[in-house]
Amino acid sequence: MQSPNPIAHDAYTFVRTSGGIAEYRLDSNGLQVLLLPVAAAPVVAFMVTYRVGSRNERAGLTGATHLLEHLMFKGTERYNKDRGTSIFPTLQRVGALLNATTWLDRTNYYELLPSEHLELAVEIEADRMRNARIRDEDLDSERTVVLNELDRGENDPMRKLVHAVSAAAFFAHPYGHPTIGWRSDVERVTAEGLRHFYDTFYWPDNATASVIGDFDAEEALDLLARHFGAIPSAPDHFEFPVTDEPPQIGERRVTVRQAGQLGSVLMAFKGPAGLTHEADALDVLAVVLGGGKSSRLYRHLTDRGITTGTYAWMPRLRDPGLFYVFANLAPDVEHASAEEAIWEVIDGVIADGVTETELTRARRQLLADEAYGRDGAFAIASQLNEAIAVGDWTLYTEYLSRLEAVTPDAIREAARRTFNRDRLTVGHYLPVLPEATAAEAA
Amino acid sequence: MPRTMTELPPLAERVHVLESGDAQVLALPTPIDRVVSFEGSFSTVPDFAAGEETIQHLAVRLLDKGTTRRDRFALAEALEDRGAELSFTADGLRCRFSGRCLRDDLPDVLQIAAEQLRAPLFDDAEFEKERARHAAALRRALDDTGSQARAALARRMYAPAHPNYRADPADELVFLQGLTVDDVRAFHANHFGARNLQVVLVGDLDPHAAGDAVRRSLGDWMVATRRGSFETAATPLTPGREDVPMPDKQNLDVRIGLPLALRRDHADYLPLYVGTYVLGGNFSARLMTRVRDEQGLTYGIGARLGGIAVEHDAYFVTSVTLSRENLDRGIEATLAEISRFAEGGITDEELDEKQTTLKGIFRVGLATTGGLAQALLTNAERGFDVAYLDRFPERIEALRVESINDAVSRHIDPLRLHLAVAGTLHAPLR
Repeated sequence: MQSPNPIAHDAYTFVRTSGGIAEYRLDSNGLQVLLLPVAAAPVVAFMVTYRVGSRNERAGLTGATHLLEHLMFKGTERYNKDRGTSIFPTLQRVGALLNATTWLDRTNYYELLPSEHLELAVEIEADRMRNARIRDEDLDSERTVVLNELDRGENDPMRKLVHAVSAAAFFAHPYGHPTIGWRSDVERVTAEGLRHFYDTFYWPDNATASVIGDFDAEEALDLLARHFGAIPSAPDHFEFPVTDEPPQIGERRVTVRQAGQLGSVLMAFKGPAGLTHEADALDVLAVVLGGGKSSRLYRHLTDRGITTGTYAWMPRLRDPGLFYVFANLAPDVEHASAEEAIWEVIDGVIADGVTETELTRARRQLLADEAYGRDGAFAIASQLNEAIAVGDWTLYTEYLSRLEAVTPDAIREAARRTFNRDRLTVGHYLPVLPEATAAEAA
Repeated sequence: MPRTMTELPPLAERVHVLESGDAQVLALPTPIDRVVSFEGSFSTVPDFAAGEETIQHLAVRLLDKGTTRRDRFALAEALEDRGAELSFTADGLRCRFSGRCLRDDLPDVLQIAAEQLRAPLFDDAEFEKERARHAAALRRALDDTGSQARAALARRMYAPAHPNYRADPADELVFLQGLTVDDVRAFHANHFGARNLQVVLVGDLDPHAAGDAVRRSLGDWMVATRRGSFETAATPLTPGREDVPMPDKQNLDVRIGLPLALRRDHADYLPLYVGTYVLGGNFSARLMTRVRDEQGLTYGIGARLGGIAVEHDAYFVTSVTLSRENLDRGIEATLAEISRFAEGGITDEELDEKQTTLKGIFRVGLATTGGLAQALLTNAERGFDVAYLDRFPERIEALRVESINDAVSRHIDPLRLHLAVAGTLHAPLR
C-alpha cells in the first residue's frame, strides 16, 4: 500500500510511515497516533490501545486489568448514567459498534461508527483516559458480572485446560495467570486497588490512538490534538519490571478432570518473543502443521480418526510465550495415542524440515490472510492492535515481507529449538462421565 | 463534524443483477484490493419429520472429502495453494457455500466449489469417518449449556417437522447410527441442484467476468427433483419450564421464549424487530441496563427474533447466562422486564435512540465484502429486490411507537412464555 505524505501539524511530530499507516507523536504528552485512511465505505474505526495487560499484574491483583476495563464503561464525570450520558447508549445512539478487550500485553477500547461521528468517539476516549469514575458502588455490581463471566469460562474444560497449562508452564512470569484473574482476587479487589492500577497505566504516553477508515487525515489530527492534547503525560517514566521466567528444564504435566464426554490434549512448548524472526518461522510452521485439511496434523490425526480437530498456534507476545498444539480426541482414543501421533508429526519436521511445496502453500495462505485482514476498518484495527501490544506496530505492515524471508532451514532450526521435550508442558482433559460425577457428589 | 470522504450511490445502482433461469447472480465491485467474498445458496427442503436434516448435514460435511475427479487432499491443496477459503453449511431449507479468495483465483475457486457441489464422491470410508466426527460433535454438544438450553426451548415450541425444531443430541446420536452412505447419496441426488440458486460476489471484481465464471461452473446445474415437507407453524406445549441438569456447570444458560405467528414478510415483522431491539438488542437495551448494569446479575443477556424466514414462522427469545447463586433472582428480573415490555411497550425516546442505532449499525455492517455479500444473499433468499436494502433505513425511520407497541402487545404474551434452563441446578452434596 502506498504510504501517505506526512502532514505538517503544529501539535505533532511526524515519526514514520509504513504500509500506508502514518505515525505521529502528540508533542504535549507523547501519545502515539496512527492514521490509515481507507476510503472503501463511509465508516471509521477509532481505537485506543493501552500497553497494559495481565502481564502487568501482581499476586493479589490478578484480573485487575480486565475488571478495570469493565469499570471504564461506568463512565466519567461528563459521561455517566446520572447525567443520562452513559458511554454505551451515547455511542450506540449514533450506530457505533463498541467494546473493549483485555489480554496479556494490552487493553484496547474501540468504536466502529459512521464517519461523521468520529469526534464523539475521540472525545469519550480522551475523557476516560484520565477522568474515569472508579467507584465502590460501580465495582460492587460489576464484580458479580465478571464473576459470572468467570463461571462461564469455568464451564468450558478447554479454557480450564489452557489455564492449567499456562500456570504450569510459567512459574514466575505473569503469563502464568489467566487474564480474567483468579477468583479470589476478583472477589477481593477494591476500587482503590483498581484506581491505583488506573493511575499507574492509563496515560497518553502509554497508549496508541489509531484511526482507520473513511476520514480526512488533517481533520483527524486536529480532533485528536483538541481532545487528547491537554492531558498530561505520566508523572513517572514507565519502568514496570516483569519477572523473567527461569529456563524450563524438564517436561511438566497437568490434568483437568471435569464432567464431559470427550478428552483433549494440549501441548505447549516454550517459544520466542513475538518480535523475533524465529517467531516468523514458527508462524509459517504453524500453518504447515495445522492450517487446513492438507496440513500435517489433519492428515496424520484427524483424517485417521484419532482426533476430531487439531490446531497449532503461537500467539506473538511481548515476552517469550508458548507454541500450542491442541487436539480434540475422537471417541475411544487414549490421550497417550494422540500425544504419540502428535510427536510423530513433530519428529518428522525436526528430522526432515518442511518441503518447498508446503512452504509455498503456507506463504500463499498467509498472503491471502493478510489481504482478507484488510477487508474493513475493524479487521485492520484488530490486527494492528496485536502488533502494538507486541511492541512495534510495523509488525503488522511488514508481516508479509518478514514471511517472505523465512526459509526451510529457518523453519527446521526453529522447530528443533522449540520442540524440545524439556521445554514442554502437556495438559490432558480427562472427561468424567456425568453419571460418575453424580455418584461422587452423592 | 468530520467529513465523510466516501459517498456511495445506492446498492441498487451498484449491484449487477445477472439472471440465468432459476438462478440469480449478484455482483458488486467494491474498492478493496485483490479480495473477493462470495456467498451462495440453493433450496434443498429436506423432509424434517423423517430426519433428513441430519442426512443433509452429513451430505454437506462430505462435500470436501473427495469428488469423482480428485481425492480429499487434492481438493484441500487446490484451495490452500491459492490461500482460498471455501465452506459449505446446511441451514434448514437451504444449503449454503461461502468463502473468500484473491481476485485472480475466483474462476478456479468457483469451479472447485461447483465440482464439490455437483460431483461429490461420497466414499464409504469417508462416510464412516464423518459419521464418527458428527457423533463426537453431538457428544460435545451434550456438554454445552447454551446448546442444551436452546434445543430444550425449541422442543417446547415446535414439532420435529418444523425447521426451527432442535433434536435432543442423544436422540440424534441414535438416529445417526442407523444411516448409511446410500442415504446421503440419495439425498444428494434428489435434493441438490440449482433450485432457487443465488450467488453473490463482492469485492475486487469485474461483474461480467465474475458472472461468466459462475455461469461456466454452475450454469448447467439441473434443478433438484424432490422437495421434502415441513410444518410452517409452531405446535407449542403448555407454557412451562424445562430443566436440563448438567454436572460441573456453575454458569447456567437460560432461554425464555415463545413462538410467533409471524414471518419475515409480515407487516408486523419490522415493528416487532425494533421493539425487541429496545428490549434486548444491544448493551444499552433494557435487559442489559437493568439486569446486568444495575443489578449485576449476569455477564450476558439479550433478546431477539429467531428462526426468521419467509417460508415459516419465527420465535421470540431472551437469552441470559447466570451463576447458580443468582439463578432465581436473574430469571425473576428477566421475566419482569419482558412483562414490562409486553404490557407497556416502548417509549418515543427509546424508539428515537434505537432508530439512529439501527441505521448506523446497518451502514457499519455493510462496510466489508463479507458483510455485503451476506446481506445481499439473505435479502435475495427472501425474494426481496436489492433496493429493499437501500430502503431499509427509511423503513426503520418511518416506524412509529404506536405501531411497535401494537405489534408487541399482539405477539408477546408473558403468559405464553416457555423457559429452558441448562446447567448445575443444585450445589453438590459433599
